[in-house]
Amino acid sequence: MFQVPVLVLKEGTKRESGHKAQLGNITAAKAVSDTVRTTLGPRAMLKMVLDAMGGIVLTNDGNAVLREIDVSHPAAKSMIELSRTQDEEVGDGTTSVIVLAGELLSVAEPFIERGIHPRTVVNAYFKALDDAIEVIDKLATKIDPNDNKAVNNVIASCIGTKYMSRHKDLMCGLASTAVRTIVAEVDGHKVIDIKNYARIEKVPGGAVEDSCVLRGVMFDKDVTHPKMRRKINNPKILLLDCPLEYTKLESQANVEIAKESDWEALLKQEEIYVEKLCNQIVKLKPDLVITEKGVSDLAQHYLMKANISCIRRVKKTENNRIAKATGATIVSRAEEAKESDLGTAGLFEVQKIGDEYFTFITECNSPKACTILLRGASKDALNEIERNLQDALYVARNIIIDPRIVPGGGATEMYVSKALGEKAKSLEGVIQFPYRAVSQAMEVIPRTLLENCGANVVRALTELRAKHAAGKETPWGVNGQTGEIVDMSQYRIWEPYTVKVQTVKTAVESAALLLRIDDIVSGISKKKDEGQNVSQPQNEEE
Amino acid sequence: MSSLAIYGERQSGEDVRTQNITACIAIANILKSSLGPVGLDKMLVDDMGDVIVTNDGATILKQLEVEHPAAKVLVELAQQQDEEVGDGTTSVVLLAAELLRRADDLVRRGIHPTNIIAGYRLAMRESCKYLRDILAVSVEKLGKSCLMNTARTAISSKIIGSEIDFFANLAVEAVLAVKRKTEDGKYKYPIKAINILKKSGKGARDSQLLKGIGLNVTRASQGMPLRVSPAKIACLDFDLRRSKMKMGVQVLVEDPKELEKIQEKEYEVTKSRIEAILKAGANAIFTTKGIDDAALKYFVEKNAIAVRRVAKDDMKRLAKATGASVQLTMADLGGEESFDPSFLGSAEEVVEETISDDKFIFVRGCKNLASGTIVLRGPNEYMCDEMSRSLHDCLCAVQRALESNYVVPGGGCVETALSIFLENFATTLGGREQLAIAEFSDALLVIPKTLAANAALDATDMIAKLRAVHNTGQLDSNKGNLSHMGLDLENGHLRDNLEAGILEPAMSKIKSIQLATEAAITILRIDDLIKLKKKQEDDSGEY
Repeated sequence: MFQVPVLVLKEGTKRESGHKAQLGNITAAKAVSDTVRTTLGPRAMLKMVLDAMGGIVLTNDGNAVLREIDVSHPAAKSMIELSRTQDEEVGDGTTSVIVLAGELLSVAEPFIERGIHPRTVVNAYFKALDDAIEVIDKLATKIDPNDNKAVNNVIASCIGTKYMSRHKDLMCGLASTAVRTIVAEVDGHKVIDIKNYARIEKVPGGAVEDSCVLRGVMFDKDVTHPKMRRKINNPKILLLDCPLEYTKLESQANVEIAKESDWEALLKQEEIYVEKLCNQIVKLKPDLVITEKGVSDLAQHYLMKANISCIRRVKKTENNRIAKATGATIVSRAEEAKESDLGTAGLFEVQKIGDEYFTFITECNSPKACTILLRGASKDALNEIERNLQDALYVARNIIIDPRIVPGGGATEMYVSKALGEKAKSLEGVIQFPYRAVSQAMEVIPRTLLENCGANVVRALTELRAKHAAGKETPWGVNGQTGEIVDMSQYRIWEPYTVKVQTVKTAVESAALLLRIDDIVSGISKKKDEGQNVSQPQNEEE
Repeated sequence: MSSLAIYGERQSGEDVRTQNITACIAIANILKSSLGPVGLDKMLVDDMGDVIVTNDGATILKQLEVEHPAAKVLVELAQQQDEEVGDGTTSVVLLAAELLRRADDLVRRGIHPTNIIAGYRLAMRESCKYLRDILAVSVEKLGKSCLMNTARTAISSKIIGSEIDFFANLAVEAVLAVKRKTEDGKYKYPIKAINILKKSGKGARDSQLLKGIGLNVTRASQGMPLRVSPAKIACLDFDLRRSKMKMGVQVLVEDPKELEKIQEKEYEVTKSRIEAILKAGANAIFTTKGIDDAALKYFVEKNAIAVRRVAKDDMKRLAKATGASVQLTMADLGGEESFDPSFLGSAEEVVEETISDDKFIFVRGCKNLASGTIVLRGPNEYMCDEMSRSLHDCLCAVQRALESNYVVPGGGCVETALSIFLENFATTLGGREQLAIAEFSDALLVIPKTLAANAALDATDMIAKLRAVHNTGQLDSNKGNLSHMGLDLENGHLRDNLEAGILEPAMSKIKSIQLATEAAITILRIDDLIKLKKKQEDDSGEY
């Protein structure tokens, strides 16, 4: 039959389907997981990523590495999203989730090649997920969240794999103190808002040992006028989010001035306005005024005369934290400030660290917000320390909210692997092969740990498997430093239950999502709606 | 080119028809592999690199950016089905394309398109009648499990199909939770009252149905309470920022003193508005616009929650559920500004809750209308998006089953039954329509065929068996349950799909047959295609 080829899709759209798409997805996912593989475990190495702006990121945090990498394959993108989800949800385990998801996909490859329907594989994966969660549930033990030592232990396991492992104790202390400071009880359950109330402030210089959690807040601002007091004991603090200067009108207003005296009056008026504003503040007798907006020179003058220190242009989030720490209410119009809006702290001090001034509001009475002051050699190192601490904070939070823990060092994964392997035998039909594959895939965590510390992988893994197969309840796992097989309850590597469960869930579900795809269409333009809008007027013309 | 002076191209006759039909078949071929419980998903990537993973026919077609005009008709068809029924978008496209393909053959054999159209119309009417009168089974007869089964069938082909019971249950509960009696005594299940929130994190299993309306917004200020109860809700559609004149209005003042007054007034207007609202008793204020930072303190002082930048849709839903009326302005008839307490809606509580890293506002125990929120969790956004699309289909299916009260067994059962029926019906007719109806009857089989092919079964063999069974069932009314036989795609044989719980709302099937036929007819009627060229010279000057 002779006919012109019919173009249905727009030119430039690329379509890949069937096996090619499936295998392509798997390869892409594997590539992503290979990128971050070496950052797992206590012998992890850092990655240096040069971003588009020329800045460098030094990290071994899976999420931080992947975030900077620009990938084009859609499946790889989907993988990268995973570590972000993991980071937002539990804060730790961002590398494990990628490694596990990559492995789950790569063990599925032979099934796809052999022609087993992806749906069967996906069903088996989900079934295995349910069983795995059950195993982890059984394995979990509870610790007392008020027991500092036990909590620190868990945080130490997390820090152990990071750049900061040398300062384990210090980091544990920082994380647990900070989290304990900001924990709040709402309707019977604990709420810990790390994002808003625990701020990490990095100041290059000094030694890592100088880092500390402040009983209060600190930020990089100085008083507006050099003659204002820089140190006040027991200050009364007024927080504003309005400017202390003459503000312009919202509406467009023009003043037409005919006479010279009017001009003067206008200026006078502005002055009077500021004076009035300041008088109202002075009446409350605060020692310190902090505002999110600007403070005019004139206002500074009035405040200084009243012996009030003043700080301007703090961030909204900072102001909220100060309010939380000092018990003040943020006032939005100076005229309406009341005595009760004032907050108190033990000490207000402006210190010069290095080249910059920093304001400390510390020794607060039962603060509900805090700042963690980090010191370190260089900016890049500090950034990595911050990321480590961030992970530690999340671990501390998780453990205080849900005090269940599971053995680390690959022990939990081996348990799951063993349990799934046994269960697979009792399954009927094709489903048992992919099910067993999940069991094998779980071993990727201890295997990677072994690989990263340069142990004899095959021998050690066989030994580990044998020890688990012996059926004892001892949680055998990998000592990531030496590559020996050790009892985790002795070696004391524990991980929060929430992190582990989240890792497994996320990895399996995303693997399932990618396996189900049999068609990739790319190059669809997004500006479809706009295009239509533009073409409409043309039609009218015609 | 033709002598007709057209600035463009013109095609007519067989050329254009064949081309249209080829385009439609191409579209159907793209969708083919996503049909049925063993269908797979598509990954769509746009030029910005954003990814969509989906199994939903309407979504796939919407994203594909189809260029061919005839193919566009099919895309719209899928959209139509999505809007009217919500489910069955893939099958409707497949059916329409198959109808066209067969019509093309008939035309080649020298039958005029109008004859085919008449035949198709007749077949459509007859099959809908047959479906409604004979095949449909009432929901009451099957009991409550039937709803679960309908939900299960709708999601079996989707990503959440692996957690089928969990999500079916979620959907049924959600739909039943929004049950509402209308004035004429019927029950309505407005699924618009079910809000779906997506948040990546945790696992699919951790999705949950929450009572009340969930909004993806936070309190305007940290100082506001986390919870107010009982809540009096004000829904506003205006700014609570410092009021200003609209664009272009200038105020000219002579006396500088006046300037101060204007400034004072700007504050006062907003302040008095807020005070009026608070005075009316509101303790939860929602606005689609902004609230001035400077104004937040008034709310904090009164222990009220204020929420800014609420999406318009959410606002409508909120107003409907709580009985509040959305206020566009505060001006009353007297020319003054006031806020009447009757504008307020009420609910048991308004709370802010944290899910994962994000904060959401929940309005619970609404006065007027029960409503639900489903919070979906998943490994990443793509999955959450796809879950929400799947769940939407499922909710629609449950709603249709409840409202239309009739279901039909799925798994290719209905199509085969109709095909046999039409075949017999065709032989009773004398005219040329007979041929068209016979083709229509064959075209219906595309659904079971594709289902079988996707499940890697021998389609020809399975269909032959299925037809034989249905034929016996229709000839001999004693063996009634034979007409419920359909494909069992997991194990590859036939079974009674009514008993196995593969159910679809009857209304969805009827609609999809109607829509597919209409679309096919629209395309069949075309015998001339004129494509005008864009006037490019004019464009550059204007844009």
